[in-house]
Amino acid sequence: MKTFAKMAAAAVVASVVAGAAMAEGLYTPNLSYRTGPFAATGIPLMNGQKDYMAMLNARDGGVGGVAIDFEECETGYSTEKGVECYEKTKGKAIVTQPWSTGITLQVLPKTNVDMIPILAPGYGFSPMMDGKTFQWAFNMPSGYWDGADMILQYLQSQGDLKGKKVAFLHLDHPYGKEPLPLLEAKAETMGYELLPIPVGLKEMQNQSAQWLQIRRERPDYVVMWGWGAMNAGAITEAVKTKFDMSKMVGVWWSGHDADLAIVGDKGKGYKSISWSFPDAASGVMADIKKHVVDAGLSESNETEMNGVFYGRGLVMSMILAEGIKVAQDKYGAAEINAEQLRWGLENINITEERLAELGMSGMVPAFSTSCANHTGHSGGWMLEWDGAKFVKVSDHLAPDTAAYVDIANAKAAEYAEANAPWAVNEECEG
Amino acid sequence: MLYRTAGQFKTSYKSDQALFPIKQDAFLLGVILLFAVVIFPLTASEFTFQTILIPILIYSLAALGLNILTGFAGQLSLGTAAFMGVGAYACYKMVTLMPWMNPIVAILFSGIFSAGVGVAFGIPSLRIKGFYLAIATLAAQFFLVWLFEKWAWLYNYNASGAIQVPNLKMFGVYIAGPQASSVVQYFVVLFIVSLLTMVCINLTRGNLGRTWKATRDMDIAAELIGINLMKSKLTAFAVSSYIVGVAGALFVFMWRGAAEPNLFDIPLSFRVLFIAIIGGLGSVMGNFLGAILIVGLPVVLNLLPAALGIPISSATVEHLNIMCIGSLIIFFLIVEPHGLAQLWKLIREKLIIWPFPH
Repeated sequence: MKTFAKMAAAAVVASVVAGAAMAEGLYTPNLSYRTGPFAATGIPLMNGQKDYMAMLNARDGGVGGVAIDFEECETGYSTEKGVECYEKTKGKAIVTQPWSTGITLQVLPKTNVDMIPILAPGYGFSPMMDGKTFQWAFNMPSGYWDGADMILQYLQSQGDLKGKKVAFLHLDHPYGKEPLPLLEAKAETMGYELLPIPVGLKEMQNQSAQWLQIRRERPDYVVMWGWGAMNAGAITEAVKTKFDMSKMVGVWWSGHDADLAIVGDKGKGYKSISWSFPDAASGVMADIKKHVVDAGLSESNETEMNGVFYGRGLVMSMILAEGIKVAQDKYGAAEINAEQLRWGLENINITEERLAELGMSGMVPAFSTSCANHTGHSGGWMLEWDGAKFVKVSDHLAPDTAAYVDIANAKAAEYAEANAPWAVNEECEG
Repeated sequence: MLYRTAGQFKTSYKSDQALFPIKQDAFLLGVILLFAVVIFPLTASEFTFQTILIPILIYSLAALGLNILTGFAGQLSLGTAAFMGVGAYACYKMVTLMPWMNPIVAILFSGIFSAGVGVAFGIPSLRIKGFYLAIATLAAQFFLVWLFEKWAWLYNYNASGAIQVPNLKMFGVYIAGPQASSVVQYFVVLFIVSLLTMVCINLTRGNLGRTWKATRDMDIAAELIGINLMKSKLTAFAVSSYIVGVAGALFVFMWRGAAEPNLFDIPLSFRVLFIAIIGGLGSVMGNFLGAILIVGLPVVLNLLPAALGIPISSATVEHLNIMCIGSLIIFFLIVEPHGLAQLWKLIREKLIIWPFPH
């Protein structure tokens, strides 16, 4: 045991020393999951993120002349590995991208002590929108409550929800439970009947019990908060039970092309709210093709690159790159640190003009952040599966944040109290 | 030669019954303790604490708890993770309901709850054996995880259904929660693990341990020589669940910082069971060796390619890692089916005559 421990210690010491000497440029690690049960949905997103940064490095030499070291640390979506990756990278990282609600919940309290910004685009903990309390956490461009609100708005526009029955099919996991407080509050004001139907992690692929319940209850709509194998399971089950697909709406993580490609034409009419949209003809895609794909640096393929998830990966990296740029401009230095990046992420202003400059018009709505608002509330579009791909079927939908900002602030305060002493951003006026 | 015991005379009962009667063993233990108490805390980085030292100790303790039940008393259990969960949730409820409570006391108390639950689920062991009992403990696994999900009082009605460890102080120092430093957490874990390991070594050497072993080896014979099987099995369930519960509380409070119900699902049970089996059933030291192999080695292997400057992607490393660990497990089980502890015993015997074998 002694020699074993010695060897282990020696290996660790050696690797830590070697690791420290290796990094070049701005280190923005990504806690990826290309292995494990969620790999199928993870890979297109990770590829999008990676390719965007590779494109910036090849085209502009990074951001502000400094290369981006976009290293991946594999978690396999396991919380334990996630924390391992966080600890491994935090020494020199200027941001952490935790990539699962479970890992986010785990590292959120640590980032507040370690003072590293946590970037969780479109996932994580909804009350993170309160930037005064969660000064180190960012979930722009949209949080889960924004998504739930937009879905309800869209359904309302299809006919008054009063007296209707909305089934909420969700993963029985912190992620799936996220929008429940909002859906419950809205059920009272909008007058619909909410029917939460949890899907356990073990039942993801076999949802016959849940769909039996749906058939019995005959809801007017099914709103889905699913991830990984659960989406494909629900969609195939819905097709099997001949549920009207146009009555089924998913969150943005439930709009993966590959899940719907399995059912093809039968999935026609399935909708998913999204804050991103792929555009194969955009400027950014042309640049990626030229600098990354043709140079053989991409791990992606044609079909994947036209999908919603790859496009979303691009948007995520764009947000991070913008944050870095804003910080560089403010502090007049190319090599920024975590503290400066936090300011940058807090002062992002992505306008339609800026999107046109980046060659990403229509791939994400314009949004901006502030010290009190770490989500940005970009809004999004309702996408619909036309049998072969997702198309936009709505105009830009904006969430009515005023309706739930109080709940968010209350939850944030509750969190801060439970984690006392919790440092808040006192300078922020809220 | 290295392990020669010739000349080490025992002149009193006390020295003959010492925990480590052989000088070399005591010396080795001293060296390990020196590393654990002085050298590691002085040299280890936060990464080493958080991904190697603390988890290895906690998993060792959990495996030790399981080993009492499965290795010493012969009752196969697949519900370890659920009992860890009981400990973690009990500890969470205690520190949130009674914030004045000393965290270490809370952690040690939380084992009592899991011991109670363990005994309740151990009652079927009086009538059923072997694989059938394993299925009965599997029921505990499913039921308890379901309970952690559905009983909102357990997680203080938190919307996400997860428990978050608050910042806890003891003598003015943070020992749990995000504010706590890794060194302090390491020492707390080390203290509790050492304490319980000592208790276990003594228990397994004593009267109770002997009745457990008799029950394991042949329960009918044990009953015939006057061992009360009910008492023997239920005490094994109680002691085992107590230790597992404390390990669960440490798992969440000293290491993870947050936990959701499905963390305590069956993969964790299997992981602990693998540690116990690979380390060696019916041994105390084996749990530590097993934990080093199953918990510590993957972390070290993950770092190797980067340390050697081999440019392969993180996902590939992960795939290679799973393959390496898998083959190592098979290798060790072929070389020594009785686990790493037995392997160490053989090495020790060889060392007695080394370097001059007959």
